[in-house]
Amino acid sequence: MLTVENLDVRYGSVHAVRRLSFGVAPGEIVGLIGPNGAGKSSTLHAIVGLAPATGSVRLHDRELLGRKPEDVARSGVALVPEGRRIFAELTVEENLRLGLAGRAHRGRPDFSSVYELFPVVREFRARQAGALSGGQQQQLAIARALVGEPEVLLLDEPSLGLAPSVVDVVFGALVAIKERGLAVLLVEQRAQRTVAVADRSHVLANGELQLTLGPADAGDTEKLVAAYLS
Amino acid sequence: MTLSILNISWQTLADGLELGAIYALMAVGIGLVFGVLRLVNFAYGQLVMAGGFALALASQWGWPVWAGIVLCFAVVLALSIAMDVLVFRPLRGHSPAVMLVATFAVAFLLQSIALLWFGSLGKIATSLAFLNRPWAISGVDIRKIAIVAVAVAIVCLLLLQLLLERTSIGLHMRAASMDFATSRMLGVRASRVISFAVLLSGALAAVVAVMLTVQSPLVTPDFALRDTIVVLAGVVVGGLNRLVPATLGGFAIGFATGVLGGALPTNQSQYLPTFVFAAVIVVLLVRPRGLFDFRRTVERV
Amino acid sequence: MRGVPVRSHLEELLGPVALVVGAALLGTLVSISTQTYFTDTLVKVAIVVALYVFIGNSGVLSFGHISFVALGAWTAGVLTVPPAEKPAIMPNLAHFLLHRHVGNVTSLVLAAVAGGIGAFVVGIPLMRLSGLAAGIATFAVLEITHNLLQYEERIGPGLNAFSSVPETTGLRQAAIGAVICVVVAAVYARSRFGRLLRATREDAAAARAVGASIYRQRLLAFTVSGCLAGLAGGLYVHLLPVQIDSVYLDLTFLTLAMLVVGGATSLLGAVVGALAINALDSWLSVAENGTSLFGWHINLPSGTAEIVIGIVMAAILILKPSGLTGGRELRLPRLPRLRPRVS
Repeated sequence: MLTVENLDVRYGSVHAVRRLSFGVAPGEIVGLIGPNGAGKSSTLHAIVGLAPATGSVRLHDRELLGRKPEDVARSGVALVPEGRRIFAELTVEENLRLGLAGRAHRGRPDFSSVYELFPVVREFRARQAGALSGGQQQQLAIARALVGEPEVLLLDEPSLGLAPSVVDVVFGALVAIKERGLAVLLVEQRAQRTVAVADRSHVLANGELQLTLGPADAGDTEKLVAAYLS
Repeated sequence: MTLSILNISWQTLADGLELGAIYALMAVGIGLVFGVLRLVNFAYGQLVMAGGFALALASQWGWPVWAGIVLCFAVVLALSIAMDVLVFRPLRGHSPAVMLVATFAVAFLLQSIALLWFGSLGKIATSLAFLNRPWAISGVDIRKIAIVAVAVAIVCLLLLQLLLERTSIGLHMRAASMDFATSRMLGVRASRVISFAVLLSGALAAVVAVMLTVQSPLVTPDFALRDTIVVLAGVVVGGLNRLVPATLGGFAIGFATGVLGGALPTNQSQYLPTFVFAAVIVVLLVRPRGLFDFRRTVERV
Repeated sequence: MRGVPVRSHLEELLGPVALVVGAALLGTLVSISTQTYFTDTLVKVAIVVALYVFIGNSGVLSFGHISFVALGAWTAGVLTVPPAEKPAIMPNLAHFLLHRHVGNVTSLVLAAVAGGIGAFVVGIPLMRLSGLAAGIATFAVLEITHNLLQYEERIGPGLNAFSSVPETTGLRQAAIGAVICVVVAAVYARSRFGRLLRATREDAAAARAVGASIYRQRLLAFTVSGCLAGLAGGLYVHLLPVQIDSVYLDLTFLTLAMLVVGGATSLLGAVVGALAINALDSWLSVAENGTSLFGWHINLPSGTAEIVIGIVMAAILILKPSGLTGGRELRLPRLPRLRPRVS
């Protein structure tokens, strides 16, 4: 259970996130949507320790705020960063092995559960990651985050730059991931699809939580537009 | 027996290979630290100097050869860690200019300390002098050290390659040198990777110290300073950003310097540094990623 | 320079000039032998100010400026050694230089010109580079200059020292030279060119958007700083017998240390750094020969000076990278208005 309480993120004089509170339970997808600059990415960065923040971020009872990024990763929180950030010069399999950096493991790593979710990653496992297409790289990025068996999966705009058919694959995988018991926090600009797939979607604007939508609201575009303009 | 082109004897060729091998190892040492810290260690030569003085002291105290080598490694590794903790870590994240000047300062500081401690006349390390004697191979005299240096370099490079490709820490180091921030985010321990790179770099400096003292047993405070500068030139020309081009650059410049230094008459060879550094400038202007960098993807210097 | 109050021009000039003149005046009060330390300090001020003109305004590191000091020293030296003495120290001197002889001031002017031309020629290819590449390329220039001057005996003494050069750089000449450098540096820094260059240092993209050509501005700064460095070299060769290794790595390190410790981005910083470090260095050199401090006799082992300077430099870099002055210029406190505003 990931609990965020009164999260405040400031970059110098810019107040990116204001007193944000929400939770993500195992087995659910929570969406964070909103216009550009609303503070969505900053929230994710604050959770993993890449942005200066005050407030509280707890995984079960353990406080994560203030820890170094590598420690947060080792605690079971994995981030799929914006722009994927895969290592183009390493092979796909080496990229996956890097996902294990946060976990001690013995012997040959077992990627079978991840290969099950993303067969294309298995197919290309010996190829240089830079040779993959955008959509394949996105799947690799998610797979890499999953190999460490995290409890919480954070995704920063995974559908950015992807064709709709690929987005289908990715979002489908997210549902499978949540069904495996992970807590998934999804930051997106594609409001409609996010609201449809998530159990709850929080609308952020100017760093503040404006509104919470459920899957039923996915068809109600007027409400969404109003939320964006407020 | 001589090669008729440019009057190169087998001896000169062997000298070139020997210097190339030593410079290749220095290039790797510099490249490893640059990869993870984005810092050019001007003081690398001082590590070699410290190793040289350790060997000289051991020789002076009458220690057996293996003990001298152990002392050399111990001193160099300790000094490397000290440099890392006192200078590299606090400077991480500063501008490249500040980092350059800082390592420059450390280089001079260490040189001054050595000057104070050992005087400008230096000390002599004689323990491995037997390697300086020649082997006769089919009628040609080649100094043993030339062959040993090449062999040692090849072994070290192979071991390093295995380390980087096959182990976790090696993978982490490669990833950290490509994208430090993302590596940390994935759980790669920054300090562990940096310490490892620094230690490897130090170990290579110790190996270089052992081999250089065979050929030049007199260890002075500016021991290896000129070599560092030339190796840096080679690394930049070869390609600073990646280990393989950097190593090739170091080897190339060592080989060229060794061969040309031996083959050219003195009144021409004394201008060798001018040509070398002019080449550095040309490469920086025309092909800034280095001559041996054939990647398609671009990485920032 | 329109629109910028005259007051702030003078303010920025005031501090550095006052310090230089103050140091010179202090030098007149001490014994002749101690005076050489002051004279040497003032020449170093000139060099560090030259460094500031380029490094401070462009934010690009240059390890090669001592090359221009060397060029200036060689030019002034070769042209002022009395023709009778030339064959002794420069036996292989080219024929057209053998009988050339100029006066003191002319030699200094020519030294500045030589430094400027050298900088211009080097700058044409190099000013496109930044960061690490620039540092390495300028280092290469230093190496090339050192190598050429060391072995080329047709244009200078090669490995020999420049003895027999008339020792015209006393306290007054050094002070005048240092003040000239400071004034030129201040005028440049406040000029449109200096401000454009500093803008590129802060934000290259924005500066280009307003039409600043980074390359041209850097080349200008590099050339001006080359002139000043050449002048300093001329001063230097008239002070003591310059030898090729005294205008090489040690001087490069020392002057860069002075600039960084003082504060690389301000003229005041350059002067403060040069004075402070050289004062420390001089005092330590004296202490190496035995001196007394507050009644305690101190006799430092030879070589301590460099170590202390090195530690100080490293410490300042790590603890306060912006230097002693924080990179700022001198600002006098504003006096309150004497007359009420007319509404």
